[in-house]
Amino acid sequence: MAEVRLEIAGLGILLTGTDSLQRALSLPGMAEFLAPDGETDLLFALDEPISLPRCRLLYQFDIADGCIQSRFGTDDEGSYYYAFGRHGLLRYNPCHPYRVDLSPMADPSVLRFALWSAVAMSGLPLGAVPVHSSVVVCNGRAVMCLGESGTGKSTHTRLWLENIGDTHLLNDDSPIVRYADGDVRVYGSPWSGKTHCYHQERYPIAGLLRLEQRPENTIRRLGTLEAFAALQPSCPPSLARDERCLDLLVQFISNVLQHVPAYRMGCLPNAEAALLSHDTLMP
Amino acid sequence: MKINPNIKIRDVVGEHIVVMPGEAQTDMTRVIALNDSALLLYNALAGRDFELEDAVRILTDEYEVSDDVARRDAKVLLDDMRKNNLLV
Repeated sequence: MAEVRLEIAGLGILLTGTDSLQRALSLPGMAEFLAPDGETDLLFALDEPISLPRCRLLYQFDIADGCIQSRFGTDDEGSYYYAFGRHGLLRYNPCHPYRVDLSPMADPSVLRFALWSAVAMSGLPLGAVPVHSSVVVCNGRAVMCLGESGTGKSTHTRLWLENIGDTHLLNDDSPIVRYADGDVRVYGSPWSGKTHCYHQERYPIAGLLRLEQRPENTIRRLGTLEAFAALQPSCPPSLARDERCLDLLVQFISNVLQHVPAYRMGCLPNAEAALLSHDTLMP
Repeated sequence: MKINPNIKIRDVVGEHIVVMPGEAQTDMTRVIALNDSALLLYNALAGRDFELEDAVRILTDEYEVSDDVARRDAKVLLDDMRKNNLLV
C-alpha cells in the first residue's frame, strides 16, 4: 500500500492505495496538485473493498458521455454510496476515510469521478464545493461563468482572454469554491473538462456570472433568491438529494452569496459581451 | 389539509426558501421562496391538520385586517402553497 499527498482547495488530501493509486496519479492534472509536505485534512483510501448494503436511491446519472450508468444512495447508518455497475463502488461516511473500490478494468472516467466526488462529499463540511463553471482571472480577481452545458461559459472566458489585458484561465469545468473564516476563494483543480488547465492557485471572486444566449448583450445584478437559483444548480447534484448534504450546501451557498455578487447575463459570443461583463464586475 | 411533512424551510441570507429536489432520474431542483405570510402559516400550522378558517384566524391575529380580507388572502396563499407541493 502506497500513499501520496495532494493539496486541492487548500485541503491536504492523503491518497492511499495500490493499482488505483498509480492510475489516479497518471490522470491529467493530478501531478500539478502533488504536495508532499503538510497536514492531512482528508483521507481517501483507494483499493479498499466495499460491500454494498441495502440503500435508498437518491439520484441516478450517467458519466463517460452517457456510457456508464451511476447510482447514488444512502443506507440506514449514514453512509453514502456511488455504484457504477461492474466498474466499482465508492463509499462516503463523514466519520471515516472516503473509500474507493474500483475494478482494475474500471474506466478512467470513473476514477476521475471517484476523486472528484471524494472532494465534493468530504469537502462540503469543510466549506469546499466544486462549482461547474469556467473561471477567468483578471488583475488577481476571478470571474466565474456559470450556465447549463452549451450556454457558452468557455466561449465567454475565451473572449475575456482575447480582449482584456492581464487575464488567464484558472479552470474550464470544475474549480472549487471554498468558504473559510469569512472569506470566499476559488481554487484551480485537477478537473477542467476537455481543457488542460490545471493551476494550483486561488483568488478572491469578483462575481458570479450566470450566462444565457441572447440576441443582445445585457447584464443585471441578482437579488438573493435569484442568486441562489443561479448558483445551486452548478453545485454537485448529489448534494441536493440528501437532507444533511442539502443543509450544508444551503449554508455554504448562503455564506458565498454574502460575500460575492451574482449577475445574470444575456450574451452574444462577441468582444462587446466580454467588455460589458468586465466593466460591470471590475469597474 | 396539512403542510407537506417532507419539506424543510432553509435560510439563505435572511430569505426563507424550500428546495425541492426533482425525481432521482433528473437534474432539476425547484427553489420556492416563502413570503412573511406564508412563513407565518407554515410555522403555525406545520405538523397538524387544519382548515381554511384556521389560516384566516392566524392572519387576523397577526395583521390588522378584516376576516374577509384575511380569508381572501389565505385562499390565495394556500392555493399557491398547494400548487408548489407545500400542502398535502
